[in-house]
Amino acid sequence: MALPNTNTAHAPLTSVQRVRIWYGFLLLIIAIFVVRLFYVQVIRYDHYKHAALSDQLKQYEIPASRGIISAQEGGQAVPIVLNIQLYTLYADPTFIKNPDTVAVKIAGIIGGKAQTYSDLLKMKKLRYVILAKKITAEQQAKILALKYPGVGAQAQNYRTYPQGALAAQELGFVSDSGKGEYGVEQALNKQLAGTPGELKAITDISGVPLAASRDNTETPATNGTDINLTLDLSMQQQLENILKAAAQKTKTQHASALIMDVNTGAIKAMANFPTYDPSKYYDVSDGSVFQNGAVSDPIEPGSIMKSLTTAAGLDMGAFSPGVTYYDPAKWVVDGFTIKNIEEDGGAGTKSLYDLLNLSLNTGATWELMQMGGGEINTKARNTWYDYLTNHFMFGKETGVEQGYESPGVVTGPKDTGSAINLTYAETSFGQAIQTTPIQMAGALSAVLNGGTYYQPRLVDSYTDANGKTTMVAPKALRTNDFKPSTGEALIPMLQYSIQHHNPQPAFDQNRYTVGGKTGTAQLAVNGIYSATEFNGTYLGFVGGEKPQYVICVYMQKPKVDYYAGTAAAQPVFVSLAHMLIDSSFVTPKH
Amino acid sequence: MNGRSPVRASRARFNGRSQNTVSFRTQTRAFGPVSNTIILIVLACLLGLLYLTQVTKANAYGYQINDLKDHKSALKLENENLKVAAARLQSLDRVQNSAQAKALVATTPSDTVAN
Repeated sequence: MALPNTNTAHAPLTSVQRVRIWYGFLLLIIAIFVVRLFYVQVIRYDHYKHAALSDQLKQYEIPASRGIISAQEGGQAVPIVLNIQLYTLYADPTFIKNPDTVAVKIAGIIGGKAQTYSDLLKMKKLRYVILAKKITAEQQAKILALKYPGVGAQAQNYRTYPQGALAAQELGFVSDSGKGEYGVEQALNKQLAGTPGELKAITDISGVPLAASRDNTETPATNGTDINLTLDLSMQQQLENILKAAAQKTKTQHASALIMDVNTGAIKAMANFPTYDPSKYYDVSDGSVFQNGAVSDPIEPGSIMKSLTTAAGLDMGAFSPGVTYYDPAKWVVDGFTIKNIEEDGGAGTKSLYDLLNLSLNTGATWELMQMGGGEINTKARNTWYDYLTNHFMFGKETGVEQGYESPGVVTGPKDTGSAINLTYAETSFGQAIQTTPIQMAGALSAVLNGGTYYQPRLVDSYTDANGKTTMVAPKALRTNDFKPSTGEALIPMLQYSIQHHNPQPAFDQNRYTVGGKTGTAQLAVNGIYSATEFNGTYLGFVGGEKPQYVICVYMQKPKVDYYAGTAAAQPVFVSLAHMLIDSSFVTPKH
Repeated sequence: MNGRSPVRASRARFNGRSQNTVSFRTQTRAFGPVSNTIILIVLACLLGLLYLTQVTKANAYGYQINDLKDHKSALKLENENLKVAAARLQSLDRVQNSAQAKALVATTPSDTVAN
């Protein structure tokens, strides 16, 4: 009997069974994919996202355009500092096959010596050499059109100065790193620079952002604030011309001058000699020329201080405008003799007019004595120190929008056993104290305008990136700083002084109010006042019914045969005062 | 004879039919699992294609935007260059050295000189 056939291995599969097997196989494949995708997309999500973005996600800085700087001209704002895009030409020498040929072509387009470029292009060990900076867009386009492998150009923004070197030290410059240096550029760097924006984007292979990416973020740049200065261009130009001519004529080492609006503290013109071209600041070998000496170079002002000593004494009531006193022609203070120049004559009865006109050191010392009740004592020193620092604002920065402003030097009134009375006697006629021209101008303005000390300023208005303009109002740091009668008494004394100093040409005091005082300060050499080296200074005003402008002039070490204040500084003041009158900056008396 | 005529017997038979003793099955067509999978895959592909179309279109607009931005930058640059050129043309030095300025005749101001 045959056994039943139990072997089913070779039994043909039905179609349903075959489909089920393939179906199961498909599910297995799908399951493998799902598991793998789960691993890649969920478990290793961060790793792969980072790896992908590192190739595709680009981060760009959107540079902010630096604010432009303008000045006044005929009531309009005229740009004097603008931005321009220039190019840095670079090369990768390893790509350059014929350095000499390339160098000749480049030299033919941008100038310079072909040999210099050739030497750079032959530096095969370097991958990046700078061939030239500040080439124009046209030059860059011509060079790139040559399609030399390894030669490229990088755009960079630079400052440009349509007025050339005008007001260079007041403006400052912008370094290659984009930072403002000196002048307004340094003092207001934050406002001028603006805030760069940022673009994070998935890009294609050529770096163009793909719009469809959700990861793209763009923070727009905020452009820098435009600044409109108080400087008057034509006044500035004439001041620079006058100062340069005078400095060259008198062989002055360093000269500074400024014109300030008496009633607002606005600086209308300010200049120094020597100066420089801010577009070529890198060519300057003596870094001190970057400084705006009118705000950062304090010196002993000399006898122009007597105007302020007189004003202080009048203001506190130590003496009256019509006072006369006996001047002994010398005082002995702390064992040292204070005397006058020979031309002033000997002892005698003097008025405040004589004191200022003859520039009596003994007269200024007498004024200090009156502040102490008849002698130089603690009261005199404290009172005078209070006027110097709290009324005239010496010994502290004025806050004018300039880099590296100096506070100057004022010795405290405390007696430390080092001839403090002599020191204070000297400060009354402008020695043993250091001030800047801007401090002197600010102080005299406060006396002349009726008693308000306005903070000296160079900024007239700000215009932000949205076009909103904010005017800068005159800032009164001290009101009732002086009695109005103080200025009224001082004005005729200073008019008297200039009339007796033979200004050429003379001023018509019937139509204009012009006054001032010379200063000749001995220079301290190794701690001893020199008998041969002097600084010449001048502090004066010009106006119609009332003083409109204060002018301060510092001339350091001029080579003149007469007193430096009279021979070197006064002519500058006289020229500037006439310039203001002739150019109709001054409204004459009715 | 049982008393029933052949006609009546036939009617009785048909009466039974009208009593739904026989059910008629409704014929429905259903997709099988393979068909469903294929349909789902096709739909997913269509959706993917739609997505790709939209992304491509968006990116094409992105390129246009980029071109327009470049154009805007170029115009802005040109504007700044023109401002610089205008400012240079109006500079004091240039005006001072112009032919018109050189043709001016200097006069001595008498107003400021004391009589």
